[in-house]
Amino acid sequence: MGVTKIVEIPVVTTEVPIGPQHPALHEPVMLKVYADGEEVVRVDVNTGYNHRGIEKLCEKNTFYRDIFIVSRVCGICNAVHANCYVRALEQILDVTPNRRAKFLRVLSMELERIHSHMLINAVMAEIVGFETLFMQIMLDREKVMKAKEILTGNRVSADFMMVGGVRRDIDDVKKEKIKEILLKLKPRVEYYVKVFEEDETILKRLIDVGKINYRDATSHSFVGPPARASGVRIDSRASDKYDAYDEIPFNVVTRNEGDSWARMMVRWSEVMESIEMGLYILNNLPLDGNPVPDERRLPRKFPPGEAFTRVEAQRGELTYYVMSDGKSQNPYRVKIRTPSFNNIVNSAFMYVGYSLADVPVILTSLDPCISCMERVTVIDLEKGTRERIPFKQLSSGGKR
Amino acid sequence: MDATEKLRLVEGFALEKGVLKPNRKLFIVKPEDVRKIFESLVEKTGYEGFYLSTITGTDLKDENKVSLDYYIVLLPEEETIVIRTYLPRENPVVESIIDIVPGALAGECETYDLLGVLFRGNPFLKRGFFTPTELAEKNVYPLRKDSGV
Amino acid sequence: MSQKPQTKKVDYRLVKYSPWLVHFNTGACNGCDIEVLAALTPLYDPERFGVKLSPSIRHGDILVVTGAVTKKAADRLKRLYDQMPCPKFVLAVGACAIDGGVFSKSYSVVGGVDRVVPVSAYIPGCPPRPEAILDGVVKLLEAIKKGEVESYGCD
Repeated sequence: MGVTKIVEIPVVTTEVPIGPQHPALHEPVMLKVYADGEEVVRVDVNTGYNHRGIEKLCEKNTFYRDIFIVSRVCGICNAVHANCYVRALEQILDVTPNRRAKFLRVLSMELERIHSHMLINAVMAEIVGFETLFMQIMLDREKVMKAKEILTGNRVSADFMMVGGVRRDIDDVKKEKIKEILLKLKPRVEYYVKVFEEDETILKRLIDVGKINYRDATSHSFVGPPARASGVRIDSRASDKYDAYDEIPFNVVTRNEGDSWARMMVRWSEVMESIEMGLYILNNLPLDGNPVPDERRLPRKFPPGEAFTRVEAQRGELTYYVMSDGKSQNPYRVKIRTPSFNNIVNSAFMYVGYSLADVPVILTSLDPCISCMERVTVIDLEKGTRERIPFKQLSSGGKR
Repeated sequence: MDATEKLRLVEGFALEKGVLKPNRKLFIVKPEDVRKIFESLVEKTGYEGFYLSTITGTDLKDENKVSLDYYIVLLPEEETIVIRTYLPRENPVVESIIDIVPGALAGECETYDLLGVLFRGNPFLKRGFFTPTELAEKNVYPLRKDSGV
Repeated sequence: MSQKPQTKKVDYRLVKYSPWLVHFNTGACNGCDIEVLAALTPLYDPERFGVKLSPSIRHGDILVVTGAVTKKAADRLKRLYDQMPCPKFVLAVGACAIDGGVFSKSYSVVGGVDRVVPVSAYIPGCPPRPEAILDGVVKLLEAIKKGEVESYGCD
């Protein structure tokens, strides 16, 4: 079976903060899909990532400055990046925040989980052609952004975490406002779950597309919803029980189907769980003191030591390795392994055998960053043409 | 095979044991034993018994060695353990595990391109995976402490 | 370039009543991108200004750039700008697009969109709110109407 079409998909997964970047001489493609007619025969995952030299940049700045750099690795996951890094610092310094701070941290991370999952589900709806649903989900998502702003002061980049606690406290007025938003959101999310379970277009496009089993998921190091949708019960919140997750009840959501539909449904179920967690936190906020630590008391010089922390980011397990050599105010090594790195780079085997129109669906179900809404290059070897089409046009079979 | 048996399997290869904060069991092994550990894990517990989470390399310039960590999460207990090995800084070579654990692709390619650790047997290793071509041509490994970037 | 060529005023009419935006990410953390995406949703109602996302670069009027410009993305940005038909304007959104932001000291970052293409308007913020982005677009349109903004690279 010969190759008649090559599709180059540039996916700017700027979650990958690895080292300096490369000014590619060739087109910075990320997924090079080789197709025979409409069927995918091979996929190469090249790395045309847009690096910003973050790991090296972290070594040149102090530990505390790095909190701000690290939370700009990804705007959608900024709370979890900052949280993981700050907890690694707290391990090295042997500092524990108080319970109220832990609860507030969890609230900020769960709100972020809700908005990120709603975003990727909206994007998936748009890819499948359901533009109205995309607009509706985005409208409801604005409520979550409002809640984030009430809690942390900013819609996107929270900058909420600091060593020893959080930056702001909330009072009763804000607590009631956030609770009201969550209660208003709940029936909307239940409606969306119903749409995803019953709508014909979505079911036809998502079921049995990109199916992986338990063994594939663990041997290829998949993490997060793609692994949980194949039955692998991994969740850093349940295993490491960091921050307040040992006190807040929640369920780890798994499914067995392993296809794109299961991956999206796992995310919706996690949104429901997060809403419940948010309500529990707001109803049971501990009163054991000020969650904002005194900045002047924090040490300038760090003792030598190393720590490896994991956090359950929206896309999966995010790990940080921080090493301090005790001789300076800068870290010796900061290693960030983002979940998209595992999920996307190791995913080349998933596309083979499916049609070209399924490739955007499978890619979106793995939750890459949304800036992959770029233009895709389709090289038709038989006709000798090379054209650029929008990413979502690929999912409608390339027809305008 | 439960967690204690898996740990005993890994312990059999360990030269030294320790704890990495917060509470990850750390085993220091010889470089040639890394592949053997993964082979016996796959053989005794199957792929369903663990997954490889991260591969991290650190340039310890003053001690003239490169430390390489493999973070493994044991399933279903979801306990994270660390396998650490030290490679000579001048010529860090270790056997690749990509044929046993395909998920090692991402980590091995990255560590090769940024630190210069050669994973023998990995056909996908290439310079310029992440590094700018001009640095790759000059044989510079950016995460080394003396790289000058 | 201080005088405004007379012919340009006729062309600008197409832009000021219905500007089509083309969005390009040059290595951003995606914070600005989701705010640009949010600015195009019903809550902020961009369509009352005639603003919509263009399907292709050949139909675009305003290039919205986010991100600290990495060296590889700089070439693509220049090429994209050259492909746009005149009149064309560039909006730099976010602290990173203005001068590199947090990443300005990194060697792999060029540091600011205006080092690669001429910029018509800057929108500061990390990330700027969707209202701020739409406000920037509206202010740019008013400046175009008054003839205060040039479209570079067109003759």
